[in-house]
Amino acid sequence: MSPRPTLAHVRRPAILAAAAAVISERGLAATRISDVADRAGTSAPGVLYWFETKDQLLAEALTFADDRFYASLTRELARLPTATARLERLVALWPSEGDVETALWMELWVRALHDPDLNATRERLDRRWREQIAAIVREGQALGEFGPAEPDEVALVLGALMDGFAIQIALGDPAVEPARVQEHCMALARAQLDGSEDRRVA
Amino acid sequence: MSSRERILDAAMDRIARDGIDGVRIARIAMDAGVSTGLVHYHFATREALLAEALEHSFELAGDVRIGDAALTPGERRLRTMVEQCLPLPGAQERDWVLWVELWLRAVRHPELRPTAARLYARMHEWFQGAIEDGVRTGEFAACDASAVADRTLALLDGFGVRALLGDPSMPLERMREEVWAVLAADLGVAPEAAAEYVP
Repeated sequence: MSPRPTLAHVRRPAILAAAAAVISERGLAATRISDVADRAGTSAPGVLYWFETKDQLLAEALTFADDRFYASLTRELARLPTATARLERLVALWPSEGDVETALWMELWVRALHDPDLNATRERLDRRWREQIAAIVREGQALGEFGPAEPDEVALVLGALMDGFAIQIALGDPAVEPARVQEHCMALARAQLDGSEDRRVA
Repeated sequence: MSSRERILDAAMDRIARDGIDGVRIARIAMDAGVSTGLVHYHFATREALLAEALEHSFELAGDVRIGDAALTPGERRLRTMVEQCLPLPGAQERDWVLWVELWLRAVRHPELRPTAARLYARMHEWFQGAIEDGVRTGEFAACDASAVADRTLALLDGFGVRALLGDPSMPLERMREEVWAVLAADLGVAPEAAAEYVP
């Protein structure tokens, strides 16, 4: 067993928060372990003690950022009285606050193409995203706000639409305005959830 | 084929296989049968190479796309377009890998963003045009063609990246079906025929 570095003062969450910020700003390829260490106020061995490779650091940093996103989302949503308001809030929060997250997701997609372990992490986080949307749909159906659509199906389509727009927003495409994106997402949600046979979005 | 085209062709294969960060210029030169110096002469940076490879790939696909437009009725044409946007094994899967590399690269390197915006604008024009033509001939219900094109592109990206990565929630058949279901509802055409589609 290697000698244990002195790192009682360095918490793993601090390293993960630093890693999420640095990777999101610079990209994984340009991130050095020492950059993460500097940001977290520790040394490179202090980081390497917890994370053996940069890919592992990416997977855990994204999981950490994701946990943080859901923790704040849960608090926000709990304050809202209706499922419709919760869905609107989710749609409003995702691409705007998701900027740091979108860049991390892009890193994950590119790496996951060549790395099955990272792809498994990606799949797990993606499933959680769909389950969050489906849960709001089920609440709305229980409250009588939404019609009898299949919640997992709505989550699949709405989740993909939101991600697609988040990509274009992250690319700074001048043709894509966040307010318009929210209208698109809510229009699709209404079309899927109004309970009628007519699924026209417009 | 000019040496420039051979370089682009080799670059598309290598980037799709090794990723833009992992690709070696010397390897592209070897594949293309040219000197490393010539690759550097045509493409000063990795960003330039990626941007040009994507534009080139889009142009190649564009020849096929334009060929379809004049002849086929709206629904068949639009189904063919959706088909051309799926990460099907072969050239389309390769294009998808480059596309995902472009997203990340363009977030890091703002000089690539105009390329991304241009490619999206062309895709948008392509879909909007096909939808408007179908509305004009009465095949599709009246709709906001630009808005339908916006949503279609976002759905294709959101589904496509999952299908490319082999996500169990999104096999290719499902992607084809889901994109068409949303489009069909907007255009007032039958959704169920997607499964029977033969390109």
